[in-house]
Amino acid sequence: MTITQIAILAFVAIPLGWLTRKWQRVNLLLIISILIIFWLQPALPLRYLDFFLPTLSIGLTVLTWALTASPEVRHQKESKTSAVITLCVIFFLATTRYLNFDNFLTPTRPPPIGQVLFLLAIFVVGTFLLARQKSSSSNTLLWAGFTVLVILFIILKTPALALIASRGWRLFIGQNASLASSSDIYWLGYSYLAFRLIHTIRDRQSGRLPDVALGEYLTYVIFFPSFSVGPIDRVERFIKGLRQLESAYSDDILVGGQRLVVGLFKKFVIADSLAMIALNPLSATQAQSPLGAWVLLYAYAFQIFFDFSGYTDIAIGLAQFLGISLPENFKQPYRKSNLTLFWNSWHITLTQWFRAYFFNPFVRALRKSRKLSAGMMILVSQLVTMSLIGLWHGVMWSFVLWGLWHGIGLFVQNRWSGWAKTRLAGASLSTRTRRILSLLGIALTFNYVALGWVWFVLPNPSQGWQFILLLFGGA
Amino acid sequence: MTTEIIKPLSTFIAAEILRQPSREIAADEKLISSGLIDSFSLMDLALFVEDTFGVQIDDTELNADTFDTLNALAELIQARL
Repeated sequence: MTITQIAILAFVAIPLGWLTRKWQRVNLLLIISILIIFWLQPALPLRYLDFFLPTLSIGLTVLTWALTASPEVRHQKESKTSAVITLCVIFFLATTRYLNFDNFLTPTRPPPIGQVLFLLAIFVVGTFLLARQKSSSSNTLLWAGFTVLVILFIILKTPALALIASRGWRLFIGQNASLASSSDIYWLGYSYLAFRLIHTIRDRQSGRLPDVALGEYLTYVIFFPSFSVGPIDRVERFIKGLRQLESAYSDDILVGGQRLVVGLFKKFVIADSLAMIALNPLSATQAQSPLGAWVLLYAYAFQIFFDFSGYTDIAIGLAQFLGISLPENFKQPYRKSNLTLFWNSWHITLTQWFRAYFFNPFVRALRKSRKLSAGMMILVSQLVTMSLIGLWHGVMWSFVLWGLWHGIGLFVQNRWSGWAKTRLAGASLSTRTRRILSLLGIALTFNYVALGWVWFVLPNPSQGWQFILLLFGGA
Repeated sequence: MTTEIIKPLSTFIAAEILRQPSREIAADEKLISSGLIDSFSLMDLALFVEDTFGVQIDDTELNADTFDTLNALAELIQARL
């Protein structure tokens, strides 16, 4: 998001926060969120796709709601109203093609209305078929929904598949397929949207999903402050804030405003300044000495932190204007004395998601099968989980290496702390010694994480290896 | 009632997770957010709770938001007994 876009969002959120306290809280938030996700979607070189992708985001969300909702909730009147509102807003956006402000609310001119109506009709029929089921969706159907979301995720995140998808769309719409590129399809917010939807599917399967009306569900998934940058809230937590206001409007404006200013400063002053000297594929080739290389690396380590946590502050601030407290995503991660504590405070909502829906079930299965020794089980589960977290960022070897780097680090730290726990249990260390050990731990953890960023930021692993050699004077 | 639940939990954590059988764990001591119990040990604790009390703790509940102290865990178990 640009600073202008954030200023406009704040300009919208402040009066909206006041209005939604008085009237139509869910429906107003829903309408504005729909308009904003169309407006935020960047223009794409693929014709009409920048209109269809936000439409798909909404369509998939509605389908997943119909898939996961209990039969009683599916037939509530308020959900039908929300469905009609959603259709009307998308229809209105499509009609701007024929008005003179077609580039005002959408990135490019919307597609012909017939195409939009056709897509909407598919979603309406799909939702209707799911909603008319007399009982809750079967486990098979829920798994099918899960699979569709994951397949889309893999296509978008795998450059070779994204290239095929781009070619396919170009052929379908009558554009030159030879111009296709793997970066053509930029589906704003899909990584977060998919994880919110999967969370509700898995919770429906375990019987833990609360009853949520369509309007609330849609607002949860496409809530504009957190749509494209997270955090990944949990639905039961989000709707609590949606249904019940916890603080006065003036407090929300004050707290949200402070958070927004902090976020803007972190992102646009600190992170963007650091970006000028931070490690990137180009600057990696220009570094001559180990000292210069370390400067690049440290600058990147702080740039990515201030950039991401700055955006999170902005999201939390904007949400607070609307009376919604989003969960924290960062808690001073670079001041943690070991890697486990680092991962408990870096991109918290993503790691919590992976813990709940992958790591815990995986470890539970391994524990029960008793096929692996305790040490092997820890190694395997850390490597697999961290590789998946890496792959969430993109299906590329560099992200896998970054994940494996952290998986190995977590395994070593786990073994070390297990060993130290038994040996240091009886030792009475002075406060000074504890402080020194803690500082050493912080320095070690930070440097380990910083070295890991080499794999993350340089897409070519051999370039990453060369840079690591340079850092240690070996190149 | 919660004291009866806390006792075996406390013994299990001290002996099996922390490997310090003589360690006393206060009922309000932070277990997860402090890093005392890592995510693997948390699963051991969940399986122990299932075996001992017959109470299921879902994978999505193994976090500091659901319970972070022996008190909170005992309350959760009691509510499901």
